[in-house]
Amino acid sequence: MRSWAGLRTALAFVILVVLHYTLRPMLGWRAEPDFLVIALLLVAIRVRPGAAALLGFFTGMVADSLAVHAFGASAMAMSAIAFSASWLKAVFFADNMALNAFFFFVGKWVYNAVYLLAERRFGGGELLMQILVWSSLSAAVTAFAGLATLLVLRPMLRTSMS
Amino acid sequence: MATSARAYTRWDTILLGACVAVAGMVRALPESAREVAASGMRRTVVAPLVGLQRDAELSRRAWLARDATVLAHDSLALRAMVVPALQRENEQLRRLIGLGQRMQWGFVPAEILHGQALADDYTVTLSAGQRAGVKPFSPVVAPDGLIGMVKTVDPTMSTAILWSHPDFRVSAMTADSGVFGIVAAHLGNVPARNLLELRGVPVRSTLKPGTVIWSSGLGGVHPRGIPIGTVIGEEKKLAEGWARTYLVRPAAHPAELDAVMILQSQVRAGGMSSVWASVLDADSAVRRIVAAGDSLKGLAAADSARAAAARRATAPIDSSSRVGVRRDSLQRTPARRDSALRQLQ
Repeated sequence: MRSWAGLRTALAFVILVVLHYTLRPMLGWRAEPDFLVIALLLVAIRVRPGAAALLGFFTGMVADSLAVHAFGASAMAMSAIAFSASWLKAVFFADNMALNAFFFFVGKWVYNAVYLLAERRFGGGELLMQILVWSSLSAAVTAFAGLATLLVLRPMLRTSMS
Repeated sequence: MATSARAYTRWDTILLGACVAVAGMVRALPESAREVAASGMRRTVVAPLVGLQRDAELSRRAWLARDATVLAHDSLALRAMVVPALQRENEQLRRLIGLGQRMQWGFVPAEILHGQALADDYTVTLSAGQRAGVKPFSPVVAPDGLIGMVKTVDPTMSTAILWSHPDFRVSAMTADSGVFGIVAAHLGNVPARNLLELRGVPVRSTLKPGTVIWSSGLGGVHPRGIPIGTVIGEEKKLAEGWARTYLVRPAAHPAELDAVMILQSQVRAGGMSSVWASVLDADSAVRRIVAAGDSLKGLAAADSARAAAARRATAPIDSSSRVGVRRDSLQRTPARRDSALRQLQ
């Protein structure tokens, strides 16, 4: 039963990764939902912090392979937020939707902040603008998309959480 | 999920530290090494995701370009509607320029200002007038032949009566100067009104359909040698027992023209036989060449069909017999060339 739940979580992860590389380019928004972060956080809260960090690392490497100028930045940022998500989930047991949305918002915002700092492409006011404005907008859109994903995948994920 | 299942241990921290450290080392790699690693990933484990992303971006671009494509399609369709008219006008102007080059001097080019008035069937307004040297009774010609005659002249424009006008007359003859007559409009209903009449042809003279009628130069208004039209048959009129009347299909149709030449008086004295004779020669040569080309194409198609039929017929036979069929078709080649030469001659 436990492996069946894990399989469904993995399936949800794959679906979200595929959405990241199909739906997101089609939207073409300036502040885009990050389905990779949503997928990572959904899995991270269901595994140990170390495993979450490892998953974040590999997911980040996949994202980095398409952005050579910041190769390694996503891996670092995703390792950090996946570990944090798993650890925080253990501390707070946040199971209501609003808290989950906030969880996605913070996860995406921290990911962007770490990524931008590790990327070292922006500096000064532009970096602040990116972190405070565009990252916040992107985090909000990601939180909204994460909520929608939770609603859609609720039957699948509820079983796996129990 | 139980809290104990995700209990925080030292190994988790070590794993996080290792991940961050490796990511930091990867980040610190030289550009070339990072590119090698990223390229390797893109070509292996990430390849399906790269393909998905590329397809999604292409779909989005196609969607965004859809409106522009529709606009471009509409613009092209609009232009395509105009193209035949432009081609026709271009062809007319080319021929008019060719006519001007052959005449060399003694003419005034003018545009036909097509109106919507009822009288447009009989008269046209021309964009050249007295200041350009146009005078009353000047013949108006097109590359195909006679159009009409200038009736009134203003400083900047003039009015001409067309061959369809009831008052239009021109002295005419056949190419060999064997038959003379007067060409006038054939009055009647709409289809018949598009024809001319060659009147006053002596009873002893008969004209075959297809005979070209030219201006004779008699009377001093129209110079000799302008094509007027082609005989299509005899018009039976009981009242004219001493003469014949022939129906003539006009050489030029004013409704299809946008530009014409107004001949000046100096040209009228000299005659214009050489101008249109060369046009007719060139036209007939072009027709012969086109006909020869069509004939060659037809012969080639017939040869291909015969060869295919022969191949089908000899399919069970061995390959050596099929070679013979090809050799026969090659032997027919000189015959084709001869027929082409005959067409050109």
